[in-house]
Amino acid sequence: MSKSEEYDVLVIGGGISGVEASLNLANQGHKVLVVEKDLSVGGKMIHLSKVFPTLDCSACITTPKVSEAARHSNITIYTYSQVNDIDKKAEHDFRASITKFPRYVDEESCTGCQVCEDKCPVVVQDQYQYDLVGRKAAYVPFSIANPRIAAIDIENCSLCGACERACPADCIDFTQEKQDIEIKVKSVIVATGFKLFDPTLIPRYGFGLFKNVVTSMQMERQLVPTRPFNNVLRPKDGKMPDNIAYVLCAGSRDETVGNPICSQVCCMYSIKQAQLLLGALPMADVTIYYLNIRSFGKGFNEFYQQAKDMGVTFVKGKIGKVEELEGGDLKLRYEDIEQGVVKEANHDMVVLSVGILANDGVTSLFKQNLELDQFNYVNQKDLLANPAQTNIGGVYVAGTASGPMDIPDSILSAGAASSETAGYLRGGNHEK
Amino acid sequence: MKNKIGVYVCMCGSNISDYVDVEKVKAEAEKIGGVLLSKTTMFACADSTQQEIANDIKDQELDAIVVASCSPKLHLHTFRNVAIRAGLNPYNYVQVNIREQGSWAHSDNPAQATEKAIKLVQAGIERVKHSKELSTVKIPSENSVAVVGAGIAGMRSALELAEMGTEVHLIEREHFVGGRTSQWNVLFTTNETGQEVISRLYNQIISHPKITLYTGTNIISKKGSVGDFNLTLKVNPRYIKPECKLDKKKFQEAIDLCPIEVDDKFNFNITKRKAIYKNYDSEFPEMPAIDYEACNKCGECAKLCDEIDLNQQPEEKLINVGSVLLSTGFNPYEPPKGEFGYEDIDNVITLQQFKRLIELNGGKLIYNNKEIKNIAYIYCVGSRQVDGENKYCSRYCCTSAIHTAILVKEKYPNINNFHFNRGIRTYGKQEVLYNKASEQGDIFLQSFEDAPTQVEKVGNETIVKIKDILTANEELEVSADLVVLVTGMVPRENADLVNILKVPIGRDKFFNEIHPKLRPVETVIDGVLISGACQAPLNITESVKSSLSAASKVNSLVSSGEIELEPTMAVVHNDKCTWCDKCTNACPYDAISVTKVNDKEVALVAKSLCKGCGMCLPVCPENAIDLIGYTDIEMESMIEALID
Amino acid sequence: MEKLDNPKILVFSTEKISDPAIDMAGLLKKHYPATVYTVNVPCSSAVKPKWILHAFDKGFDGVFIAADGTDCSYSDTCSEKTSEIVKTTHEIMREKNIDPARLKMAAICSVCAEAFVKHMKSFHSHLLEAKGN
Repeated sequence: MSKSEEYDVLVIGGGISGVEASLNLANQGHKVLVVEKDLSVGGKMIHLSKVFPTLDCSACITTPKVSEAARHSNITIYTYSQVNDIDKKAEHDFRASITKFPRYVDEESCTGCQVCEDKCPVVVQDQYQYDLVGRKAAYVPFSIANPRIAAIDIENCSLCGACERACPADCIDFTQEKQDIEIKVKSVIVATGFKLFDPTLIPRYGFGLFKNVVTSMQMERQLVPTRPFNNVLRPKDGKMPDNIAYVLCAGSRDETVGNPICSQVCCMYSIKQAQLLLGALPMADVTIYYLNIRSFGKGFNEFYQQAKDMGVTFVKGKIGKVEELEGGDLKLRYEDIEQGVVKEANHDMVVLSVGILANDGVTSLFKQNLELDQFNYVNQKDLLANPAQTNIGGVYVAGTASGPMDIPDSILSAGAASSETAGYLRGGNHEK
Repeated sequence: MKNKIGVYVCMCGSNISDYVDVEKVKAEAEKIGGVLLSKTTMFACADSTQQEIANDIKDQELDAIVVASCSPKLHLHTFRNVAIRAGLNPYNYVQVNIREQGSWAHSDNPAQATEKAIKLVQAGIERVKHSKELSTVKIPSENSVAVVGAGIAGMRSALELAEMGTEVHLIEREHFVGGRTSQWNVLFTTNETGQEVISRLYNQIISHPKITLYTGTNIISKKGSVGDFNLTLKVNPRYIKPECKLDKKKFQEAIDLCPIEVDDKFNFNITKRKAIYKNYDSEFPEMPAIDYEACNKCGECAKLCDEIDLNQQPEEKLINVGSVLLSTGFNPYEPPKGEFGYEDIDNVITLQQFKRLIELNGGKLIYNNKEIKNIAYIYCVGSRQVDGENKYCSRYCCTSAIHTAILVKEKYPNINNFHFNRGIRTYGKQEVLYNKASEQGDIFLQSFEDAPTQVEKVGNETIVKIKDILTANEELEVSADLVVLVTGMVPRENADLVNILKVPIGRDKFFNEIHPKLRPVETVIDGVLISGACQAPLNITESVKSSLSAASKVNSLVSSGEIELEPTMAVVHNDKCTWCDKCTNACPYDAISVTKVNDKEVALVAKSLCKGCGMCLPVCPENAIDLIGYTDIEMESMIEALID
Repeated sequence: MEKLDNPKILVFSTEKISDPAIDMAGLLKKHYPATVYTVNVPCSSAVKPKWILHAFDKGFDGVFIAADGTDCSYSDTCSEKTSEIVKTTHEIMREKNIDPARLKMAAICSVCAEAFVKHMKSFHSHLLEAKGN
């Protein structure tokens, strides 16, 4: 089954940048289609706890924007969908094909009551809790998902039919098939975001081997109000940690893993988590091992200072190796740069502050071959005067698809992308 | 009076519920007369909760709602929209702040925080009981904007706004455009020069029919408000006849002839210029200008050149705009005499001076007649101060200094760069520069804030000393031929502008936005927006992103030709009014005049002029004026609820 | 007993200037007495003496006007006008035998979180002393 639709702008990615750009354009009267590969819009931001440097809760900022976009009469959102290819026929004429994957749940009638979830006998790891806990195969992705409706994880489903029988709205439909949609748009915004570094690529950190070595995203989830446990617990034995180490630059500024650049956010999110941990575990010690602290944005350095004043320990040191001790504690071997000696320290939990990397597969979407920079981010052709412009006229980039950046920068970047797109839609193929 | 009120107490994840017993707040609210339902919710702002509230309004026929959550500054409109969607008048909604002014402010005392939240919610319920159905006031708006500052941020937003159809008045204080960007030569990462970027923007601006450029111009007064600002501009003459044709040769002769020499601000005072000047050859606008303060009015130039007219007078111009966008940029931090030897030791200069010096120097790098071999860069001068006021990081300077060190090494391969830093912050892709500098042999030495780098004159030598933590706290020193102070950013002197527009200033003295993520380019003054480095230290790309964001917001605000305003306005009770004209005198907007109703003279409030400040309220001897939304009954019933 | 001892303060804040400062105090977790209740108005020059007197009448121990001062976006006469309101109210308070020290005013700028907290603490302890007598 295939249908055909027309919009002014196609926004690829429904994270905070895509949503912000869509809202700006929609408020100026343009028709926008947002295509999101995940079951919910909101990207990475919707899963965060609080955000630096104001410590606002992340959900309080994301959900209203997401909700406004979902209700906007000029915005159409396809979740659980992917853009297959885009072909620029002429200025202001792009053709794209999109596939909408089946949720096996009727989107219109599902009320998100979670009865199916209750009845489903299959338990798998919950990707939205970064595998810290399990979820069912029939599930509402997470409590503040948008749309907040169920989906069937067909790969893990046992097809027992329990959900189908239990659903009060009768909306479970195993006959759903994927749907192909052809669209015509005048302009495209790439807001495909980033992926997190996989710390198993640095075996000496012990991630995957030692249970009490976790990623910063796993720690983030433990600090969120909708967190898996009601407290911060170390995975191995469920003990409340009282001596936590952060290893900065895990997968950033590291040629050996192919990522020589700085991820721009890890220092600050680690400092934030440290502050939140001191609040959640008042007796705990938190040590941050760093190379350089990069608290460069508005209010950031003051936030760093605040962490020091609260008692977070900062050690300028390079981590050599993490080893597991009996009982699950961890021994860190590190070079204390200030003293020029190799030292060891024991901690009961180690958090790897993983860096961010370019998402794959963006360039192959475009028949005209979207140019990437040397780090695989979308290349900004005219960085100084038109920061959202790519090598293809009418295609703009927003947020972390163009490089590592924090939320305020992503929002400004999305603002720039929407502004440049609006200019293109009105004016034509201008360059400034 | 409303008697089917819905109350929603938000946990804000745990931001509120960690300190405030939300169940108790909910239960207390339930007991109040007129409250039909009372609920707690994990996130009131979440889409599903919004839907639930909307359903409640419809299903339970609620006639008013109260949401007790965060500051109304964040989500007042979110919930007003919920009301609208459910068919309830948005002014029958009250938001009660139990987070910023509840759980967070009193996290030290949960019992009292809960007690306070209960009272605040009670007050909110009382207020909503007396709320009236209101509608916003629509006023016509000019689809025009004053962009203040023609640096890269201002020029870029001006251009985009014009493209989007908004009339732009681009106002620059100096006689030339380009701001700081034009002072930098080769830029990271495109290798374009600042002057080239400015040139291509200028050429489009000057040919754009929707942009009017004013140089040498200040805003001297403001009247009106969003949608209808009346700004008075003072346009200082450049003392060149406007209609004249540029004869470069003749002007150069005039410049050569001028007997006055003053410090050249454009080169950060490392060179001199004449009173008639251009900062660089391809500068825009192309005509030179005369620095009237420096000029001794000898008239020599005018004798040579008919185009020069020393009798020109400043002019005042009135413009009417819907919005004002500030992009006034930054100043480099100016070290006081003696800071790291600045102005005491003859070979200590700032990074900005150094960048000009490299551009102006030829085959050899010479300063004070001495060829330079060892350069010591001292970082964080004026930023991350321990004792001073500037606690912030200036963001661009690490990258800028390293980029400069690379350029200087490329131009003069024999020099040695020594970087005395406090932790290099080449964030993101800028990291490649740091690596490149290390590869080219630059030496990086670091200390913490408790042991700052020292600069001393020892005999003929300038010695820079550090306890270097990168070599186990060893005391190291370099004899430097040139010391470059890597100075940070401070806001431009904007006292006049701040005074006229009342823009809020943050702790760091830069302009302050409403919220860094929700409304990053808007200020609390409706219709006044900010962008670029006047808001916080930013590099060029970041400034441009911010200015384009602001352009988008300005356009959404003014382009429909109509702005919706809050219905908060003064109303006169004709029965009580005895027309004494005290209110007329109190009104800053001339919105109150006299009229006759049934042969009685009473005050009349003009809806299009009233801004709802309420200044007329307390001066009325008869208590005949109320402010909509703040009537006596609303205020007094709230006060009573707070004390019960 | 606690109720008697713990003075209650009503604060009139302004939507654009002082209320953001009070919010910021909360955001930075700068604590002040929890018996401080804020009611906001568009501008501090809009506070009717009648409301202030109503607050005293109903049992508030203190009233604090967190004034716009020179930052007022409506008019540069704001400071003057708010002072006038305080002056007029002080006169009425004297007539009614209410200690004028129970009404205070200070300009609180939009980022003056620290100043606000200081004012609240000192006003609170002042009222506490006055109650003790």
